[in-house]
Amino acid sequence: MADLVVGISDLKVSSNPADSMITYALGSCIAVAVYDPAAKVGGLLHYMLPDSTLDAAKAKDTPGMFADTGIPLLFKSCYKMGADKKRMIVKVAGGASILDESNFFRIGQKNIMAMRKLFWNNNVLIDAEDTGKNVNRTVRLDMSTGKVYVKRAGGQPEEL
Amino acid sequence: MKINKRILKSIKTLPPFPVTIQKVMTLAGDPDSSLTELAAVIRLDQAITANILRICNSAYFGLRRPVDNVNDAIMHMGKKNVLRAVVAAGLTRYFRSTKGYDVKGGDLWEHAVAVALMSQICAARISRPDDPRLFTAGVLHDIGKMVMGEFVHEAWQKIQELTESQKYSFLEAEEEVIGVNHAELGGEIALIWKFPDEILKAIAFHHRPDLLADGDAVPWIVYLSNQVCHVMGIGVGTDALAYRAVGDVAGRFGLKQRDLEDMMAQLHKSLQDARELVSIVSAPGKKGRG
Repeated sequence: MADLVVGISDLKVSSNPADSMITYALGSCIAVAVYDPAAKVGGLLHYMLPDSTLDAAKAKDTPGMFADTGIPLLFKSCYKMGADKKRMIVKVAGGASILDESNFFRIGQKNIMAMRKLFWNNNVLIDAEDTGKNVNRTVRLDMSTGKVYVKRAGGQPEEL
Repeated sequence: MKINKRILKSIKTLPPFPVTIQKVMTLAGDPDSSLTELAAVIRLDQAITANILRICNSAYFGLRRPVDNVNDAIMHMGKKNVLRAVVAAGLTRYFRSTKGYDVKGGDLWEHAVAVALMSQICAARISRPDDPRLFTAGVLHDIGKMVMGEFVHEAWQKIQELTESQKYSFLEAEEEVIGVNHAELGGEIALIWKFPDEILKAIAFHHRPDLLADGDAVPWIVYLSNQVCHVMGIGVGTDALAYRAVGDVAGRFGLKQRDLEDMMAQLHKSLQDARELVSIVSAPGKKGRG
């Protein structure tokens, strides 16, 4: 079994059932895992920021950095490998925040909102979600089953 | 602050602060010191010399050609960057995996470097001069965790109960259960190591700069940089995001939410450039976070 590590601002897609994709220590960032059970094609994105208008050059160079460039690229990359939007299962995790009444550090909340808006506008339903709170999460997508596991810091992996 | 005897004893088991770094810090701060003097001091410490060459060749320092000796490195980097490289090269020995926070030495080191890099990004953003204290304070801010780890481990159940309710920050739980927090403990270590007062304060108050009366910006910059790295999940452990925002750092520095996002994007690039610096303390099989 090959472990494909998805770094921050990165995404990977695969059609190999022997693969397993993993992304570590999500704080305010969000992991989007998609999987088409019929085509057995899936992908994992780890984006960091909500909005690519922040820096057009970075968005072009590293589209996985932003929700609005990373998520479309994740879906398109899966389509190229034979996935179909109607069949795709979408699971998300991350978007945590520190204890902050001033909201200045609440980048996690902004990341969650950006993702929901994007999915809503494109008629994509989120099948499972573990977002918010102040925990760190590690996310794994098993390509042979399409199952997604979330491990919180100090805990055991649990299926999402 | 009351630190119990066991903790004080544990502080004393830390290896002493490298003499080479002390000397380089003094020399680099002295406008009359020459680069030859600096090179001579560095070369006396073989472990630091080996590390420093690896670090200097990191893209972060932007050398056009790789260097293979200390003299060339110093010639091309200038005093400020030499100081950074020496501080980094000399401090790696303290970064060990710690129980309690459940984090590997390599991850703690990555966090330390990320906070140091973010401090520089932050200083540039708020148009402050590039202060060499920032890098040192950034790399050392969590040094207290090296000693705190085993006490956090012992008291883990109580700490977890307090933080899981989200009413206690990790820092507050440390104070409640152990009687001291890792930042204060870091301040004690800085005192034993005879660090200048400003660096000591930046370490001891890196979660609570609001408790400092004077207006020095360094502790606030370290605080802000550390919070961002915790938010991004860079090299953090069980304490992860269980920290509290204090004071009005945005207002103080005139920063908007978008500035923060831009700084995060810049840090991503800086960390890539500093890959060699980060990998000096290796964390096998673990890359990518946020």
